[in-house]
Amino acid sequence: MTTAIDEERLDETFAALANSTRRAILDRLANGAATVNELAEPFEMTLPAISKHIKVLERAGLVLRGQQAQYRPCALDAAPLQEVSTWAEQYRPVWEARFDRMDSYLEQLRPQTKGKRTR
Amino acid sequence: MTESSNVQGAMVIERTFDAPVDLVWQMWTDPDHFAAWYGPEGATIPVAKMDVRVGGTRLVGMEVQTPGGPMQMWFTGEYREVVENRRLVYTESMSDENGNVSSPSDMGMPEGHPMTTEVRVDLEDVGGRTKMVLTHAGIPVDSPGAAGWKMALDKLAGHIDALAGS
Repeated sequence: MTTAIDEERLDETFAALANSTRRAILDRLANGAATVNELAEPFEMTLPAISKHIKVLERAGLVLRGQQAQYRPCALDAAPLQEVSTWAEQYRPVWEARFDRMDSYLEQLRPQTKGKRTR
Repeated sequence: MTESSNVQGAMVIERTFDAPVDLVWQMWTDPDHFAAWYGPEGATIPVAKMDVRVGGTRLVGMEVQTPGGPMQMWFTGEYREVVENRRLVYTESMSDENGNVSSPSDMGMPEGHPMTTEVRVDLEDVGGRTKMVLTHAGIPVDSPGAAGWKMALDKLAGHIDALAGS
């Protein structure tokens, strides 16, 4: 899988992001690596519940776990998020063509709209 | 402002049109105007229903001529933000002619594939011309605060640039 979009991985990324707790975890990790205990702090959740969320993020490749003893700090891996961007980019040529047409349509309208500006 | 074209998880296009802001607003909200440019080339928009208010629905029917006869495609969605002449936010999903949203499996996509996207249009008057910023983002299905998803990604953007390198 090089530059082409890996659809399966993309679906996994979207699924991982479709949860507010997991998004909050990613947000926290954007500020630097953290242990599971640190990540659990702001949530009214048990450690196992938080660990479950972290596992989902890990499987999606959004979180990397360190190997250091029992702490195993979590870190953000942004690569899958880049793929989400790539996915969104497929709409660009469609919109560009639409706006070219909007431009010429506005030009057609111009003589009639001069001095007759609807509020 | 320069990083606006770099928002993670979304596609952003900025354009300036030589037209007043209220007319560009109508391009998006008046079905007749909308049908004139939305395209694609060779397609017609026989149906464009737009209940332009927060929570209002939209239904757009597109007809494309193919060798096998005319083919129709339908898109539905809901208006999320409506600020006249300034900002329009709506969702878009493929649907049938009654506005029933197609499921990923209908479209031959795996379960969980995002079928709803969010379109955001920001308009700004620049001396009689109109600067338009379009943001098109994918929204994960069954995401309650779907808008929060995009916000979270936006907040991550700076860090991602640093982490992902060039």
